[in-house]
Amino acid sequence: MEISRRDFLKVSFVAGSGLVIAVYLGGCKELPTQENTPTATALLKSTPIPTRTELPEGTPTPEPPTWFTPNVFVTIGSAGLITITAHRSEMGQGVRTALPMILADELGADWNSVRVEQALGDPAYGSQETGGSHSIQNFYSIMRSAGAVGRQVLISAAAQTWGVDTRDCFTEKSMVIHRPSGQKLPFSALITLASTLPVPASRVISLKDPADFRIIGTSLGRVDNPEIITGKAVYGMDVRLPGMLYSAVAHCPVIRGKVTSYDDSATRQVPGVREVVQIDNGIAVVAEHAYQALRGKALLQVSWDSGANTRLNSTELEQALLERAKIATPPADELVQYYTMPYFAHATMEPMNCTANVSSDGCEVWVPTQNPQVVRSNIKGLLRIGPDKIKVYVPLIGGGFGRRLESGPAGLSPTVDYVSEAVQISQAIGAPVHLIWTRQDDFEHDMYQPLSVTRVRARLDDISTLSAQRFDVSSSIPVGYWRSVTNPPEAFARESFMDEYAVMTKADPVVLRHNYLNGRARDVVDMAADMASWGSPTPTGVGRGIAYHATWGATHVAQVAEVMVNETEIRVLHVFCAVDCGLVINPDMVIAQMESGIVFGLTAALKEHIHIESGIVTPYSFAGYPLLRFDEMPQVEVQIVKSTERPTGVGEMGNPPIAPAVANAVFAITGQRLRRLPLRLT
Amino acid sequence: MSQISLIVNGSQQTLDVDPDTPLLWVLRDQLGLTGTKYSCGLGQCGCCTVHIEGEAKRSCTIPVSSVVDKVIVTIEGLSPDGSHPLQQAWVSEQVAQCGYCQPGQIMTAAALLSRTPNPNDEQINQAMAGMLCRCGTYQRIKRAIRRVIAEGGL
Repeated sequence: MEISRRDFLKVSFVAGSGLVIAVYLGGCKELPTQENTPTATALLKSTPIPTRTELPEGTPTPEPPTWFTPNVFVTIGSAGLITITAHRSEMGQGVRTALPMILADELGADWNSVRVEQALGDPAYGSQETGGSHSIQNFYSIMRSAGAVGRQVLISAAAQTWGVDTRDCFTEKSMVIHRPSGQKLPFSALITLASTLPVPASRVISLKDPADFRIIGTSLGRVDNPEIITGKAVYGMDVRLPGMLYSAVAHCPVIRGKVTSYDDSATRQVPGVREVVQIDNGIAVVAEHAYQALRGKALLQVSWDSGANTRLNSTELEQALLERAKIATPPADELVQYYTMPYFAHATMEPMNCTANVSSDGCEVWVPTQNPQVVRSNIKGLLRIGPDKIKVYVPLIGGGFGRRLESGPAGLSPTVDYVSEAVQISQAIGAPVHLIWTRQDDFEHDMYQPLSVTRVRARLDDISTLSAQRFDVSSSIPVGYWRSVTNPPEAFARESFMDEYAVMTKADPVVLRHNYLNGRARDVVDMAADMASWGSPTPTGVGRGIAYHATWGATHVAQVAEVMVNETEIRVLHVFCAVDCGLVINPDMVIAQMESGIVFGLTAALKEHIHIESGIVTPYSFAGYPLLRFDEMPQVEVQIVKSTERPTGVGEMGNPPIAPAVANAVFAITGQRLRRLPLRLT
Repeated sequence: MSQISLIVNGSQQTLDVDPDTPLLWVLRDQLGLTGTKYSCGLGQCGCCTVHIEGEAKRSCTIPVSSVVDKVIVTIEGLSPDGSHPLQQAWVSEQVAQCGYCQPGQIMTAAALLSRTPNPNDEQINQAMAGMLCRCGTYQRIKRAIRRVIAEGGL
């Protein structure tokens, strides 16, 4: 049976019934035993990862098969190793652990024999766009079905072997067990037969009763941790190819400026510098080692055509935006207020980078990206080669926060700046190239969280008339997705306004929200208030603020911040966070994402902002763009609502409520209402 | 370029290198020790922290010529198999998220505990305050350090 890779899994959207999965049984193929196969990360260091789906046409199928591959997401080997493919990008949110947990549970796998392999960018997996906190929400059912299909085929194989009814069998710890007799067969003993059996149609796949979950709902450790703590984990920056050269690019300091001319004579004196080439975005220096490329870049003399963007000034844009949002004479029976968020950078700890190898065979890239299929489209447009000649490998990502989701201006063919640069350089010099952006490149050429002003209004006699409108700027400043996207300005505005409204109407902020909200939203507000002992006395100089937000309307989060003010210094001491994300896959990872979102949001609330003057981004290092530090970390407590609702995401959800919670606490202590981030007391 | 001799993770290495090259790049590009990370290049974030003669130092701002014949330990050399108490505590507390800064965090904490086996909160804050983590794992880092201390130190 010869089945193309596209046939392994077909995912189709059916109106009204959500996602339906059709999974076809792949022919089993003779491959090296899994135990002898180097780990994906080891292979990343040297050669591309061979995947079972990419065997050349006509590869013979010897008997007996040593692998059983019910679909693109899972392979069971004759030695018992279960390889689960993670098709979404890992950037710290734990997706390489959480999605395989779901599949493994449905399959009845022993988690200790599961190995996770990272998928290449390929539409065969469905969407790989790792953003919007969508991975669990969109793939929970698909992962379950993918595991259930494997389980049913394995059960059929065992039932056939024993001559018993499949309905009397179940799976556990990588074994099929016959309930009446207690006899057992390991998965590994069943793959030969399993690979000859028909695959059940999607509509007849029976899923486990959630009461029988063994893996889902447990705080299993992240699969990448052992390699992270020993320094063996491979990020984009750590990709090494035979014959690879290193490159750094001089970019125009003014946004979207172009090269007029350049002098590379000093650069070429640097030992190890091999080439200097002009590309669309600037001048690339190529060298034998990274530092030589960086030194060579520093010695370039480039004349730039800065263009019209030298007029860009973020302070002026902000003032103009506030003017635009203002209502000249607000109705007397309304409260109207304006809340401002400046430009923010992503500031991932791993700067942008990409390793590209353009050759007559096509193009391979190794890139920490949240969107490998967009990278493919980018390369296709750039090189005008077929998708079969493009391979996108996704190593671990040293922080994404939306920066690595970017695909250039809407409506144009996708362009991923650092990918285009690496591909152009490799093409120009005919060798594999590892492109490194410096921290300065990263700050100056980010796609920023856009500046916004949000206007909120409500009639003073009726909070349910509350409405909010966000205003932003159309300018040449590149903007994009930043963790939680439009949710932070929305939450900061509405939740600060709620507090102002409570003050004006002499209502308690928790009671006001309790009455205004209902259902799961109200429950998390009450839970966070209970956690914080809302209403109990606080020490002098310490105040509490509360905020609630459901990012993307999906996951309900309420936070109470306890804040201390010392003159103009704002110090967050304690954060109580209640979260309802439906059924929980891994409780500790939910807690970790709440902690992470809170710290990310606190940096925005208290520290960071991007300033642009004469078209130049001024903070270009962590000295000018401070992040929340270890010694400023509040104590964070998280409680998760027990729920059987469908699971929703957590990657972004901890962030939006924290800034308004802190601003509201600052008001409680000082009486100063701060309506712009970062919060600054006068 | 000149011949420079380094002692990294217990083995003596002789390299042909520009003496001004920061130690970070020598470790990463010439010795293949990519566990030590580049992030800011200015000594502002701590991702590149290694031990030089037992002290936590930022390898991105140290010229390789200044560490000739000094004892250098990177995350790969902290233990042969991830068994250092701090590495174990990092797993127990599930500290890492993206993980990019964690080798530097672990090396900084290891230098602290080898010098000050039972630090108070203030000493932990002081040692760790300059170590940036954009994922916000600070609370777990502190818990992992506290766990090692509670379990008897290094």
